[in-house]
Amino acid sequence: MSCVTIAIPSGRLQEDAVRTLEAAGYLAPGAWRETRRLILPGAGGTVRCLIAKPADLLTYVEYGAADLGIAGKDVLLERAGDVYELVDLGFGFCRGVLAFPEDSAGDWERKHAVRIATKYPRVTERYFWSRGRAVDVITMHGTVELAPLVGLADGIMDLVMTGRTLADNHLVEVAELFQATARLVVNRVSLRSRADAVAAAVDRLRGAAGRRAPAPR
Amino acid sequence: MQLERWQQVPAGTRDLLPHEAARVRAVIDRVLDRMRRWGYREVTTPTLEYLDVLVRGEGAAVGGRLFKLVDRDGELLALRPEMTTPVARLVATRLRAAPLPLRLAYAGPVFRWREAGSGRLREFPQVGGELVGAGTLEADAEIVTLAVEALRATGVGQSSVSLGHVGFLRGLLAGLGLAEPALDGIRTLLYQKDFVGLRRLLEAHGAPPPRVRAVLALPTLQGPRALEEARRLADTPELLAVVEDLAALERMLRAYGVWDTVTLDLGIIRDFDYYTGIVFEGHTTALGVPLLGGGRYDRLLERFGVPLPATGFAVRVERVLSAGEEPADAWAPDAVVAFDNGSREAALACAKQLRERGLVVAVEVQGRSWDEVARDAEARGAERALLVRGEAVLVRERGGRQRVMPLAALRDGEAGGCRE
Repeated sequence: MSCVTIAIPSGRLQEDAVRTLEAAGYLAPGAWRETRRLILPGAGGTVRCLIAKPADLLTYVEYGAADLGIAGKDVLLERAGDVYELVDLGFGFCRGVLAFPEDSAGDWERKHAVRIATKYPRVTERYFWSRGRAVDVITMHGTVELAPLVGLADGIMDLVMTGRTLADNHLVEVAELFQATARLVVNRVSLRSRADAVAAAVDRLRGAAGRRAPAPR
Repeated sequence: MQLERWQQVPAGTRDLLPHEAARVRAVIDRVLDRMRRWGYREVTTPTLEYLDVLVRGEGAAVGGRLFKLVDRDGELLALRPEMTTPVARLVATRLRAAPLPLRLAYAGPVFRWREAGSGRLREFPQVGGELVGAGTLEADAEIVTLAVEALRATGVGQSSVSLGHVGFLRGLLAGLGLAEPALDGIRTLLYQKDFVGLRRLLEAHGAPPPRVRAVLALPTLQGPRALEEARRLADTPELLAVVEDLAALERMLRAYGVWDTVTLDLGIIRDFDYYTGIVFEGHTTALGVPLLGGGRYDRLLERFGVPLPATGFAVRVERVLSAGEEPADAWAPDAVVAFDNGSREAALACAKQLRERGLVVAVEVQGRSWDEVARDAEARGAERALLVRGEAVLVRERGGRQRVMPLAALRDGEAGGCRE
């Protein structure tokens, strides 16, 4: 069986993704925490793992640089990739919500056009378009919550897990656009040209997702 | 340093240097040559088409991925995004009265709008063939075999063709017992290959669990046992007919001797929705994107007024090239010819004769001294430099060995004026 390459996202999903690979027997426990390497041979030699920025991960899988990848549904919604989305791995639950400052949350729908700061411009535009509303989207790369506080935007569209960040910044959720968890995605050619190895890895990760040790909160 | 516009080419387009252009040309020529032996004759259609033609062939959604132009009289034009629709237009117009079946081949650049920075080409070469007017499995078997042969002719290693049938997917969807708006959502998720969302939607609509399992099993319904498994899942006459077609096709492809390169794969989902029967893709383990794609499209030509069945495929030439090792540019002329005052006629006649023998010969055009010419020839890797002086010629072999010989002897092929 040929070696299968699995891409793991850095950041929010990394810990749970690594635990899933450990539960699947693909990574020796703790192996990743002891190194700063971006690519690691897996335990048993049938897989190797690489770490990629979440925004780049789909590109690795699309081009076949990785056969499989673990990606948040939020990323898949924002950037439709030419990949097979096969398994809901169950971890990394979060919601994409629209939020406004406390003092304007009540009447945002009366505004003619709103300006929204977000890391998810396409999802945001789709949401407003599907409701027949005008929107100016400002694409940001971090600390989106800051934008309404300093007058850069009227509101934000962002991921929330507990809602703490929103509350701390006096923002109120007004709508939920999506719910997201981590998904297992597969390159369309790997699924065929290395069918046995890839199918075996998909099954093993599907099983491991249920058994993975919970990440410390 | 900021590059000026005049120093660049548009995003997603490429210049090809001599050794790259030679590789593209070689792949296209080998595939066309293979198809010619099967009776496929090359046609050429314009790079530009009326937007109406492309929309008629591929549906309104194609508009979003076209490069469009407005003609001076206000007509909307577009650069062709693929060749099947232009060939269909050609068949429906100029070739309307031609005897069937028609076997046509084509090669040329196609254009698709892509976001800059996506790493995807916006202009790339395609070579392919269409078999029009035969709705039989025999025709499908011919096209799949030709696709296998085309892939082999390109020289890509470890290649294979995955063969599916859109009827299986459609049959499974029809058997869900769901109404059209729900089916639309399901088709959208299938095109997006989102099988997580698909499971949720199917369950939410209360689709029968065995059917849900069958749809979700599609991505891995492939390989030697796929047909058996598909037959087990086929519980309607439509699905059974698809399975029997695929079984018959397998027998034909075995007879053609290409079945060892073909894998049955019912999870093939092609981006173009004009396919009506078999669909297939060519792959190599060395590349994460398909090298070729094709299938049967029996409803496309009727959109142009001639209800003819058709089947065909196209090869992505630049992907074939990126799947192979890029060789170093090893090109060099066989001979460089210089001459003394008064010997021009003899020298040019000599060069002409060598070329007629198939050699690559460059004549000195800068008036340089013999020393300079010989040094330059050596640096370029030329086999030899020749200095014609009246009836004699000074031959300097690569590496520096020199000798004088009669011009007549060189012309007659003595002393290795060539390296056949």
